[in-house]
Amino acid sequence: MSTPNALVTPGPAADPADAAGQVAPRPSRRRGKPRTGGIPPLRGLLPLVVLLALWQLFGAEASPYFPRPSSWVDGVQRLQDNGELIPALGATTRSLLVALTIATLVGSVIGIAVGASRTIDRMLGPTLEFFRSTPSSAMVPIAVLVLGFTDSMKTSVTVIAALWPILLNARASMRELNPTYLDVAAMLHMSLARRIRTIILPGVLSAILLGIRVAAPITLIVTLLVEIVTGIPGLGALLSRAQQNYQSAQVYGLLVLIGLLALLVNAVVAGIESWVLRYRPPS
Amino acid sequence: MTTTAASPEAGAQEALPSRPRRGAGLLRHVNLPGIAFLAVLVVLWELVVRGGLLDFQFLPAPTEVLDGAQSLIEGGELWSAVLHTALVAVGGWILASTLGAVVGIALGLSPALWRWTASSIELLRSFPSITFVPLAVLLLGFSYKMELVVVIYASQWPVLVNTMDGVRGVSPGLRDVTRTLGMSRLRSLRTVILPAAASKMLVGLRLGLNLSLILAVAAEIVGNPQGLGYELVFEQQALQPGRMFAYFIAIGLLGMLLNALFQLAVRWLMPGVIAATDRKG
Repeated sequence: MSTPNALVTPGPAADPADAAGQVAPRPSRRRGKPRTGGIPPLRGLLPLVVLLALWQLFGAEASPYFPRPSSWVDGVQRLQDNGELIPALGATTRSLLVALTIATLVGSVIGIAVGASRTIDRMLGPTLEFFRSTPSSAMVPIAVLVLGFTDSMKTSVTVIAALWPILLNARASMRELNPTYLDVAAMLHMSLARRIRTIILPGVLSAILLGIRVAAPITLIVTLLVEIVTGIPGLGALLSRAQQNYQSAQVYGLLVLIGLLALLVNAVVAGIESWVLRYRPPS
Repeated sequence: MTTTAASPEAGAQEALPSRPRRGAGLLRHVNLPGIAFLAVLVVLWELVVRGGLLDFQFLPAPTEVLDGAQSLIEGGELWSAVLHTALVAVGGWILASTLGAVVGIALGLSPALWRWTASSIELLRSFPSITFVPLAVLLLGFSYKMELVVVIYASQWPVLVNTMDGVRGVSPGLRDVTRTLGMSRLRSLRTVILPAAASKMLVGLRLGLNLSLILAVAAEIVGNPQGLGYELVFEQQALQPGRMFAYFIAIGLLGMLLNALFQLAVRWLMPGVIAATDRKG
């Protein structure tokens, strides 16, 4: 069923079997199930579209709980009109990018350093385990009290939250780097810089990128939480204010907007990942 | 490449062949250097704060945190807060996992259902769950119900998506075997499909557990006047850094405890699957 279909309709709507791992087509298979992964076809959006359409048709314009979708646009439009939307969007995006960048640099360096030595790894183990298990949301009130209501507070909390996936991934992959490679480097008397560039970085790169992919949504969550809790400018602050003023249409509108931002961020991160790893065979 | 946020976890395990674990969990060996390092860290923190090297008005020294913890334990607030958060996080996680597993199995077994819904699920799933807290507050008010709904909503996604991926990833050969043997659908599900999908499902369950605690605390911070998250904010506003850090450490310990319990339960119930899910970033 998959092969002819895929030939006729390429693109995202094509049957997932051609995108996924089935290397050799098996003509005899009556129900060749697609393997995991692959992009789900666009027609899968239909239930959501139907739901929104029904909501639009039967929902009340000014319902305090479930205002119809067309009013969401008005709600967000009002923010756009008084010039609050774009700066808020910018503030959230900026702090997201800054935090991810810092966390990537710091997390990779610490992760590689910790993973390189069994002794250090064991020494830091319990401390890392504690911070890894601590829900990132609990950091926010702590940071508010210690650092105050500032932009640098927002950055610090988000960096700390984004740090762990990257750090732990870099550490694990460094620990599992084939020791023979390092022996070769030692034998060739490579300098440390050369060792890092030719052996260590290529070895841990995919793990770090994976860590970034996990960290990106977490970073967005924590950024928004900080904004919701403290009212520091950003989309979260707008959302929290709309909720406090019972502007439900605006809440839904902002929610959709934030969702789109999240989709965009995920797509960009995934795009960067596949671009950086473009020469590697899929594992 | 896959677009599920859960698959990085699985990918990590495939990419990094797991060697036999050293010191699995905290229970097997006592990690002396690790504990010593923590102790040194705490002493250093004490010295730095007492010596005035770090000039934050509200950064407590460890001894103050200890005092705070003591007063909270004596007053009984700590236990009731821990109990509330743990109950909501674990209870919500169990409900969410049941829901996610059932829907995930259905979507995994039926390609038609998958084709007609998967994109909707992908779209909804990538919404940052924290943004639903203000919405839930709007709809349900400042209550534990709101917290529970948020926790369930957030933590069912990883279970659903991983179950779906796991079931869909069961090799066609195995499915053929169940058909050849004339197994009933229920029997094939129980004896073949679910065991084959188990390691993936466990990844989802574990992610879900982490998320449920994160969201429980976040919901308490924003809008439920109960539990550890609320107490954190309360002590923050009361300018009681010692007590606040005590709550913070309690939250971290609760997180560690839940993770450890989860691993123990998995090791006990499904000893074969653990190797795939044990080591995780």
